Amino acid sequence: MTATVTPIFLKNVASGQAINAELLDAVEQQQLIDWVMHWLPVRDKYLHALKTAQAPAAAWPQSAHWNWVSKVVQIQGLLAHRALCVVCENVTQGMMRIDVAGKRCRIASQKGLDLVYVDYLEIAPWNWEGPYFDPPRYRGVGTVLLRAAIETSLAEGFKGRIGLHSLPQSTIFYERCGLTNCGPDPASQWKLPYFEMTPENTQAFLGKGTRQ
Amino acid sequence: MKKTMTLNLTDAEMQVLEELSAKKDLSKTALLRQALRLYQMVEVRLEKGDKLFFEDDKTKEKAEVMMLS
Amino acid sequence: MKFNISKEWCLAAAELEEGTIIGAGDLARNSGPQEFAQLTEAPPDESRIAFGQFITLARRRRQLSVEALAEATEVDIGELLAIEQHDSHFAAEPRTVYQLANYFSVSRPRLMELAGLMRPKNSAVVQEAMKFAARSVSVAELTEQEKVVLEGLVTVLTEQNGR
Repeated sequence: MTATVTPIFLKNVASGQAINAELLDAVEQQQLIDWVMHWLPVRDKYLHALKTAQAPAAAWPQSAHWNWVSKVVQIQGLLAHRALCVVCENVTQGMMRIDVAGKRCRIASQKGLDLVYVDYLEIAPWNWEGPYFDPPRYRGVGTVLLRAAIETSLAEGFKGRIGLHSLPQSTIFYERCGLTNCGPDPASQWKLPYFEMTPENTQAFLGKGTRQ
Repeated sequence: MKKTMTLNLTDAEMQVLEELSAKKDLSKTALLRQALRLYQMVEVRLEKGDKLFFEDDKTKEKAEVMMLS
Repeated sequence: MKFNISKEWCLAAAELEEGTIIGAGDLARNSGPQEFAQLTEAPPDESRIAFGQFITLARRRRQLSVEALAEATEVDIGELLAIEQHDSHFAAEPRTVYQLANYFSVSRPRLMELAGLMRPKNSAVVQEAMKFAARSVSVAELTEQEKVVLEGLVTVLTEQNGR
């Protein structure tokens, strides 16, 4: 199976310039190779740095132990799940896995309606931003993937509704994008904050893409 | 690559389909797609040996085992 | 599915990411130094350990015993055992690494680097990948995941600039 490619742009943070990139509607072997060969070494370097600096728990990226090989293998052949990724300069910059059938909305105004749930979303460690890391290489990977989830929701007839459990370090980002912060989810093992997008806020995100 | 299928439903089935579509704010096609996806997910789990339960929300008792395979 | 996303939107939306680590997923755990003790301790001579683990992984992929591999590559079985048990004080013979590289169809210079016989050029990445691959080896047969990882590593070891 070969992925459909959508041309997109990322921002090279150092130069401030736009750079060509691709949004793919599948995660294939090359992405898993990139994850092993490129993401993990940088991740380990940053984990070293966090440990050396005795960084507080809040600074440790919560997704650092994820295994994308198993996440992708789990959904092979299933209609309800899809994976997408962003590639730039031939290296995978971010990956996302979604569930289009198994979850329902929780916000009162749309309770019980279908949505696209983001199972997992992670960007490559060299794109992380924070005091313990090198300056990020590219910005825009997360917003493109989030948009892809919303566009999938629209295509399915769910009017742009999406839901996700945010990493603690990411809550500001989702709030900026206009998702509703429903607070820590008591059903989540680690009480992660649950976010949901309403159709009204979808339009704001798609139309402006600017800080609220 | 989209494939087309014609589906014959009884009056009762069509009524249920229309009611569910209205309730879920989905087109009939979208609803049937969701049903297919869920059916496959259930099949895969059952094949693995998992069981599908309904849980009584108040008592938290696992009330019923669904045997779909 | 094809999307339609404008350049202007991409660049404007990118600014929303400033200062954050973006991620989502309910299996995220509270991570900290204790959780990653394994990952953050740099083992001694990690390259040779990784070399040994690559040989183990590749051998098991072909469902060979150590004896069978020794025979097939005309390598001393004692040496092969020492390699696989990643005795970091043990230096493999160049001929042995040559034979193994040929047998598994991977780049000889790259495998030499990994075995510690050649000064690494840009092999930090290869070493880290091997380290990861080694961590995922725990059962007699390779899982689907391990197969994917191994294929990826073989791809890297055989890519053109590695000869």
